[in-house]
Amino acid sequence: MPIITISRGTLSGGQAVAECLAGRLGYPCVGREIVQEAARKLGVSEETLSGKFETPPGRWHRLTNERRLYLHAVQAALADQCVTGELVYHGLAGQLLLRGQPGVLRARLIAPLDMRVRALTEAHHRMSPKAAEEFIESVDEDRRRWVRLMYGADVEDPSLYDLTINLQSISTETACTSIAEAVAQPQYKITDEVRAKLEAFAAQCHEQLQAAASQRS
Amino acid sequence: MAIITISRGSKSGGQEMAECLAAQLQYRIVGREIVQEAATRLDVSEEALSHQMEHTPKLWDRHAATRRLYVAAVQAALAEYVAEGDLVYHGLAGQLLLRGLPAVLRVRLIAPRERRVRTLVETRQMDEASAEEFIQHVDGARARWVKMMYGENIEDPALYDMVVNLETMSVPGACAALATVAKRPDFAVTGEVKACLRDFRLASNVKVALARARETRPHILDVWVRGGVVEISGSVPVLKTGRMGDRISEVARSVPGVEEVRMKLQWYDPYP
Repeated sequence: MPIITISRGTLSGGQAVAECLAGRLGYPCVGREIVQEAARKLGVSEETLSGKFETPPGRWHRLTNERRLYLHAVQAALADQCVTGELVYHGLAGQLLLRGQPGVLRARLIAPLDMRVRALTEAHHRMSPKAAEEFIESVDEDRRRWVRLMYGADVEDPSLYDLTINLQSISTETACTSIAEAVAQPQYKITDEVRAKLEAFAAQCHEQLQAAASQRS
Repeated sequence: MAIITISRGSKSGGQEMAECLAAQLQYRIVGREIVQEAATRLDVSEEALSHQMEHTPKLWDRHAATRRLYVAAVQAALAEYVAEGDLVYHGLAGQLLLRGLPAVLRVRLIAPRERRVRTLVETRQMDEASAEEFIQHVDGARARWVKMMYGENIEDPALYDMVVNLETMSVPGACAALATVAKRPDFAVTGEVKACLRDFRLASNVKVALARARETRPHILDVWVRGGVVEISGSVPVLKTGRMGDRISEVARSVPGVEEVRMKLQWYDPYP
């Protein structure tokens, strides 16, 4: 009964896979709600938090204390959800926010650009393929920069994940089945020891959050 | 019912995974043997062939035509196995030799460098530094070869259907997950797929014939087959008699199974 993080480019069909998995395993499926939760706890608006948390700063901006605070807030909100040991998380950077934690299967879903462009133009009829392509590339670029800045890692590096699945010829259903199969392995099992580690991690995240909050004030 | 290709760095558990999958799915398994078979068919030594297959040329490449022939022969040897379906291939560049074919599950295995070094140290009694160097050398040669032959980065996850990281996943666990995927309808070898695989075998054999015949071997020709009808494209020089087209068509026709040859050649003047 482990935790599954799903990283994906925008419009890669990752959300459908996350929902399929959560349905099959009977786990909660969480994405952006984590950001709302963090914002509520800090008493700021979701826009403010996601503005600071998700968009990478311009070239001349450094990693400010405020940004660090928001990162800790999101991480603490996610860690709280993890203590039960049952979660499908498809929001930003799960593989890094939970880095080093036991009982976590980190999946990444990729899809060819033309497939993603088609998905976007079908969802928004007025969008031209060219505009769709530009949109997807700019979102991808933002995430890539964000992950590089926050963790010094390349979001597309397969070694950050346990499993990378290309949805070019693998259907949502098949991707879902294979992740469910992989997660049944004993090394992802949530034992009492793992649960204790996840609880300690959540406590540690809250400490860091408090330290960051006291620095701000 | 599928064809599984396994790409991996040296000492990343590829052999073990291939054996596990073949046993679980009752598939045939093939690896480096196809290089031996290709060498026998061309009547060259296996060493000569694998040297050309796996080594990247210097800047000025005199052996390009030979290498094309060798790669075509390896592809044809693999196509022979593939045409039957139900196969695990763990040799070089399966994901590219079989590019564009349906029912092919392209897998890449990755493993942390330290673990691969440790495997080598334990199994071959090498010291750590030379194990590290060995892995770097083998990986580097393969990556350069893929870059040269296909213009692709061997580590690009987009070349594969699934990338499995053996840092946390075990071989038996990943094997079970991959076997489940191979059994899904996405990778079913239907009647239509079978026809495609047979066409691929024929195209591979025509490629070998063209890369082998004295007059056609210098040219880079693309071969595409649909139901026994062969379509050849590429750019070739206009010679004074215009015989080149006839010659290409003649070579292609000599391959058993070819029913019709269509030319889509682009001509250029070799003496402008």
